[in-house]
Amino acid sequence: MSILFLLLPVALLLGFGFLFAFIWGASGGQFDDLETPAHRVLLPDSTEEFKTGEKRHV
Amino acid sequence: MESALRIPVLETGRKSCLHCQTEYSAQSNSLFCCKGCETVHFLLKGRGLDQKPKAIQEDLSYLDDSEFVQSYATHESREMLFYLEGVHCAACVWLTEKLPDFCPGVEFLQLNLASGVARVRLYESGSFAQAAREIARLGYRPFPVKQGQSDELRKKEDRKLLIQLGVAGMLSGNIMLLAVALYAGASGALAELFKWSSFILFLPVLFYSAVPFFKSAWASLRVKQVSIDVPIVFGLAVGTAVSIVNLFMGSDQIYFDSLSTLVFLLLSTRYLLKKVNQHALNSSEWAHFLAPAKAKRFIGHSSKTETVSVNLLRPNDLIQVLPGECFPVDGVVVQGEGAVNCSLLTGESALVAASPGTAVNAGTWNQHSPLIVRVVASGPKTRLNRILASVESSLRSRAPIVAYVDRVGQAFVVAVLALAVLGFFIGLFVSGVQEGFQRALAIAIVVCPCTFALATPLAISLSIGRAAKAGILVKGADVLERLSQVRTVFFDKTGTLTVGELRVSHWDQFSDGAAEALMALEIRSAHPIARAVQRYFQGRFEWLPEVEDFREQPGKGVSGTIRGDRFEVRSHPSLDQTVSTRVGLFKNGVIVGAMTFSDVLREDSKSSVDQLKAMGLHVGILSGDAGGPVQDVSGQLGIQPGNSFSALSPEQKAEVVKGSPFTLMVGDGANDAVALAQAHASVAVQGGMEMSLRVASVYSSQSGVRSIPALLVLAQETLRVIRRNLVFAVVYNLVGIAVALSGRLDPLFAAVLMPLSALTVFLSTMAGTGKLRRAFR
Repeated sequence: MSILFLLLPVALLLGFGFLFAFIWGASGGQFDDLETPAHRVLLPDSTEEFKTGEKRHV
Repeated sequence: MESALRIPVLETGRKSCLHCQTEYSAQSNSLFCCKGCETVHFLLKGRGLDQKPKAIQEDLSYLDDSEFVQSYATHESREMLFYLEGVHCAACVWLTEKLPDFCPGVEFLQLNLASGVARVRLYESGSFAQAAREIARLGYRPFPVKQGQSDELRKKEDRKLLIQLGVAGMLSGNIMLLAVALYAGASGALAELFKWSSFILFLPVLFYSAVPFFKSAWASLRVKQVSIDVPIVFGLAVGTAVSIVNLFMGSDQIYFDSLSTLVFLLLSTRYLLKKVNQHALNSSEWAHFLAPAKAKRFIGHSSKTETVSVNLLRPNDLIQVLPGECFPVDGVVVQGEGAVNCSLLTGESALVAASPGTAVNAGTWNQHSPLIVRVVASGPKTRLNRILASVESSLRSRAPIVAYVDRVGQAFVVAVLALAVLGFFIGLFVSGVQEGFQRALAIAIVVCPCTFALATPLAISLSIGRAAKAGILVKGADVLERLSQVRTVFFDKTGTLTVGELRVSHWDQFSDGAAEALMALEIRSAHPIARAVQRYFQGRFEWLPEVEDFREQPGKGVSGTIRGDRFEVRSHPSLDQTVSTRVGLFKNGVIVGAMTFSDVLREDSKSSVDQLKAMGLHVGILSGDAGGPVQDVSGQLGIQPGNSFSALSPEQKAEVVKGSPFTLMVGDGANDAVALAQAHASVAVQGGMEMSLRVASVYSSQSGVRSIPALLVLAQETLRVIRRNLVFAVVYNLVGIAVALSGRLDPLFAAVLMPLSALTVFLSTMAGTGKLRRAFR
């Protein structure tokens, strides 16, 4: 069970990594509007694409 | 016709659907890939829905005034917020955010779909008016929104609360994992490690995430009140102290897991509640686009006008007000003859004639013909704004009711302290001072105020959210409690129970051709009576006779010559005017037709009033209108004559409302605002004045009173759910207290009991409001 002395800090470190990612995202305003971005991602990138229905090959 | 439209066969040997462009077999004779596409295509085409949205014509040049830009724009005058009317779906996001593609000078447009507010950022060379014109051309009506400092602050607060919630969630989860190992029997160095780790993990929860509780508990204690946060902080402090002491003494009695979970659960509820309330109504944002923000001002002494923001108008400026527009300022008519609808200020449905010298007020409507007005007072100095200011100050001075939750919370604090003392003496009696302290502290830890702190706000926020989805915006948690206590409902008449515009209710024709003559005359006028006639006879005639020598006399009527006969439309002494407006058509002085106008009831008024009466409530009418029309309406609705009041001034309305306990006032006009502010609870209905929207405790975006019975049922049911939760909480707390008093409380018991009681009230709330949701449609 001594491995726990190593695993506990590692697990917590991992957890804090995600916590800081969350704090970074929240203070940057990524959680201010939870509705629109979900729609925005479905929209075509350009007017051309919308007209032709074809994806541009970049 | 359809044969002209031939779908070409593609290279792939297939055809492309006319509606959705999906490829399908070339053997098919149809223009469409499936029946569904065909149906939708012709449905859209048949209704003209395949056309582009109609562009909105509006003079927006005032947006570029330097003073306007200074007060509305941010980011070095390059960014402005617009509320876009008519934003619904993802396609709206796509369309509006394409603005930089076809409007040079715009750097980007970012739309928030939930609030309908778009952020527009320009390049140095850009113009807000140009951008707004393009947005209007797309079919969305743009209203500039002032960015207050409060909005920025609110955003920061929101983010902070979210981070506090996230921190509490992550840490309490990890502390719980460690606690499970301890309960399972970890021992020796490993147990020490787990205990100390959970202590360290608990510190940010206490000193960062729980800060909102400390702040609000302190704020309530400073004004000598006991809010629900006080017992929370008390329990938290005692629990932490006991756990730390036991940690150093090497005892197992540590409660970091229960305490951090409690903080997390409470914070989640608080966050949810805040989100729901913000979504419901942000009055500071409303105010900006409800008022007419611009006016047509004459340039110098020329006959040219420029559109300017109302804030820039100075006394003695001359402005033009077209028919159908709202007067933006208090002023005096200097040119033009017309009629003014003052119903928003006085409640009277009859029009007031206006001619040079007549004083007009901001918030009233020009009905008839263009008027030129000399500005006397603008902005905060107008009569409208002075009434508003007095209403708002009376609102502030009103003693806030102590919410149910706070009252119970105070009793709770007293009970916990008494029980702790009791525990101390029991312990003292059994085995001395140390045992006495331990039992007193055990009670402070185990007693959970979760019903008041968790389930009640949750029930209220779910109900408020439910109402918001139905278009009813409830402005605060205590409003539901007020609504549940309502015993008398008073309605305003014009615009609330009735449609608020004149309709022809009856037409008598005494000779042939009278209707055609009437229509031929009235179609030339923009008077409300003429509009009512136009609506009544719309599409009835193939052709109309020629009218010569047409004349319109404001306040009197219209006249004209048709085939040599002189026709006049005017009121006549012989016509009974007491119950409703009656007007006659005269041919060479002889009456040939008569019509009755009345303000008709909304379709749902009768059924709503019946429902309210069935709920055992008293229903009454408070109107500024004359006795006749009011009696007519109360008769139709089956309201006792003793409960309907007519010809009331705004102050008298408020007196009546104050005179009876637990009243709900429902109204829309500025003349209702004082009464709305004075009532126990109040609802402003759609189409109402900015002022009534601001002072009322509920805003219904549905026109009419249909939502009122449902709203009252919702409030009563919500309070019932809260009371049931209270019973659950009392049971759980009694169990916990009994265990603590007997001295058998250990961390595992607390860790099971506290979340379990929270979970029970949570489920009870969800079940209760779920049933409610179905009832509320």
